[in-house]
Amino acid sequence: MVRKITRRRLLQWMLVSSGLALWSTACSGNAPAPITATRRPVSAPTAGQAYLAVAHSEDAAAATRAAIATLGGMGRFVKAGDNVIIKPNICTDYHPPEYATTTNPLVVGTLVAMCWEAGARRVRVMDMPFGGTPETAYAVSGIADATRAAKGEMEVMSPLKFAITSIPRGKDITQWEVYREVLEADVLINVPIAKHHSLARLSLAAKNLLGVVRYPNRMHRNLGQRLADLASLIQPSLTVVDAMRILVANGPTGGSLNDVRQMNMVIASHDMVAADAYAATLFGLRGEDIDYVKLSSEMGLGTLDLSAIKIEEIYA
Amino acid sequence: MRKANAWRIGRRLRQVSQALFFLLFIYLLFAALQRRVAFPLADLFFRFDPLSAMGAMLASREWLPRLALSLATVGITLLLGRVWCGWICPMGTLLEWLGPGPARHRTSSVPPQWRSAKYLLLIGIPAAAAFGNLTLLVLDPLALFTRTMTTVILPALNYMVTAALGSLYPMALLRGVLDALEGWLRGSVLPVQQPLFAGNWLIAIVFVSLLLLNRLADRFWCRYLCPLGGLLALLARISVLRPVIGASCVKCGRCSNVCPVDAIQVQERFRIVPSECVACLDCFAACPERGIGWRPVTVRSASAIARELVWPAPAEVYDPSRRQVLAALGAGIAGVVVLRTNPLARSPDPTLIRPPGAQDEALFLARCLRCSQCMKVCPTSGLQPALLQGGLEALWTPHLVPRLGYCNYGCHACGQVCPSGAIPPLDLEHKRQAVLGRAVIARDRCLPWTHGVPCIVCEEMCPVAPKAIRLEEVTVPDDLGRPVTVQRPYVINERCIGCGICEYQCPVEGEAAIRVFRASA
Repeated sequence: MVRKITRRRLLQWMLVSSGLALWSTACSGNAPAPITATRRPVSAPTAGQAYLAVAHSEDAAAATRAAIATLGGMGRFVKAGDNVIIKPNICTDYHPPEYATTTNPLVVGTLVAMCWEAGARRVRVMDMPFGGTPETAYAVSGIADATRAAKGEMEVMSPLKFAITSIPRGKDITQWEVYREVLEADVLINVPIAKHHSLARLSLAAKNLLGVVRYPNRMHRNLGQRLADLASLIQPSLTVVDAMRILVANGPTGGSLNDVRQMNMVIASHDMVAADAYAATLFGLRGEDIDYVKLSSEMGLGTLDLSAIKIEEIYA
Repeated sequence: MRKANAWRIGRRLRQVSQALFFLLFIYLLFAALQRRVAFPLADLFFRFDPLSAMGAMLASREWLPRLALSLATVGITLLLGRVWCGWICPMGTLLEWLGPGPARHRTSSVPPQWRSAKYLLLIGIPAAAAFGNLTLLVLDPLALFTRTMTTVILPALNYMVTAALGSLYPMALLRGVLDALEGWLRGSVLPVQQPLFAGNWLIAIVFVSLLLLNRLADRFWCRYLCPLGGLLALLARISVLRPVIGASCVKCGRCSNVCPVDAIQVQERFRIVPSECVACLDCFAACPERGIGWRPVTVRSASAIARELVWPAPAEVYDPSRRQVLAALGAGIAGVVVLRTNPLARSPDPTLIRPPGAQDEALFLARCLRCSQCMKVCPTSGLQPALLQGGLEALWTPHLVPRLGYCNYGCHACGQVCPSGAIPPLDLEHKRQAVLGRAVIARDRCLPWTHGVPCIVCEEMCPVAPKAIRLEEVTVPDDLGRPVTVQRPYVINERCIGCGICEYQCPVEGEAAIRVFRASA
């Protein structure tokens, strides 16, 4: 059977192929232009507000609430209609929260609830685990349940949403692929768990930002400065260090309860450097001992001089 | 004017059954998406597969209870014939849907003798299995289809969808919709990481070849090649009920026109060949006289159709001769001998890392159905189909390629989906202790060892407690000769489980500076 090429068929083919050609041109339109972060700056604490809050409690939810209240309440960070992203440390799907490898789910859940109370429009929780899939890591960490109970969204970070981003203040890296949503959110709350790490010595707030970039392992070549550079770009609105349990050895993957210390503390500040410097003291270290904390401070991202800031300890 | 025929409902039921089983099969494939706890019935179809069950039980000399359900398939075949082929098998369904249509116009080019090929393949399987070899199970239709879906079709689909979404992403107008779509698909239907399978091209070629052969005749694979079809065909010869064209036949030929497997011998007064019939009911429904139905076999019968109801069914021209059967048996055995006289028998390829708990190579090869369910469920796609790493005998068996994906410390899904227990169903605690191999640092590539550049990624990633990779602080000259203090990694062998996350995450470009090699038994 010979199929005739009619005019209509020819036109159809031309239409389809030119459409495909257009699309493929659009696809090959190189990498999108580097984007820059545009987060609303956080106000400095006013007279009644602590610069850094340290809440002690056996109840992680109470500690979290007390710490944020001491800073002036969630309303200081989250305004009505805000799009909020909470970034806990959900590094693997290996162990439940008792092993202190992932952020305490109660801390995360409480923060989600407080964001709603402050009038947030959208509250998402996300991380990019290096061991296991996001879905299983979210479940094993207990954070999926806690977030859902607080009516927050767990977002599986999509490979499509990373964008080459320029880091204007970067000293070592001037651009990197960063998760776009994190840069575009009105509010980013960084919620690391304090734990041991062989290269950085400690994995704290700035180290936790590795979970929102592509190729985190390539950061290790000059980890201290690169983390400081990254911190200068991302600048979370609020840092809440989970020190309910801390991991003092075999980090960041953990796996032995012998390496876990029950501290029952939550540390919060708008200043990530100060929060990290304080958290370092729990391990018998100072902020200066942690390269990325020291270098962040040198870049003017915050202070590691704990004697110069107003620290309030609360027992909830 | 055709009389109303109740079998038309039967035919419709069969079509619905095919569609449902096909959808179930696809659903189970998607349900087996990269979860550490596998969907409990992910291997459901394989449990009903008597060919795999026979092969694996013979080769491993074990009763494998998980495959016992295949007796149900044997049972229904002994009752009604190849119902599996016509009503259930997803491969058969696909080929039927993609077939050229009415059989009659296409079959003349394929000689009926080719039908014996499926029997010869079938005979080769137990012959080789008697010597612990299951290589021919790569031709099991379920394994073939699962393998193709796992390594070829689903990754390609994911790639296409991701590329399409990615190309639309720069359009700000669409971002809301795309975000919603991504949020919905990613992690539930589509994997977060693009699965990549080495050697998927060969698996694709095999599958496409079968689809092309299907152009020659409806269900070409089922008629001529399928060894499971061959096994069920043998059983159908002794089935209790037979489809029979009754005495009311007016020889209109409609039945043979619609038969998808050309099982109706027009020349022999419209006799239905029970071993070829797939019980699809198409002829039942097409018969204007409503003259086709199931009849019980009667050893003695004086009726005109007695010849068709003898037990067992009479031989066909394309049945393999005794000589062919012996040749197939011999070929199966000779094949094993040739495959085994291979240098790999002395020292296995050090990169052939088997899944957790499957370190006894001979036992593993005697149980593995080559079904690739483990590769489907592996959350990192580290489990890859072996090409020749284990010799041709181990074609398309799973092995871990750590540079492509590691064995996740929090996952034990492969053992849960393995239908035959080739990968034992270890609980998470035991799976974590299973040693797959050992890591070795390539000191001539490692950043701290070679260049004095700080990097402890392997140590950081090591999931065991205490870590199998330790660090030693040393002061060494860097590339410019300046003294620098770095932490150099070293491996403590007894602690290493060979999960390979160190090799996977090693930031050195190309070949990793830490590599996992097969654990010597």
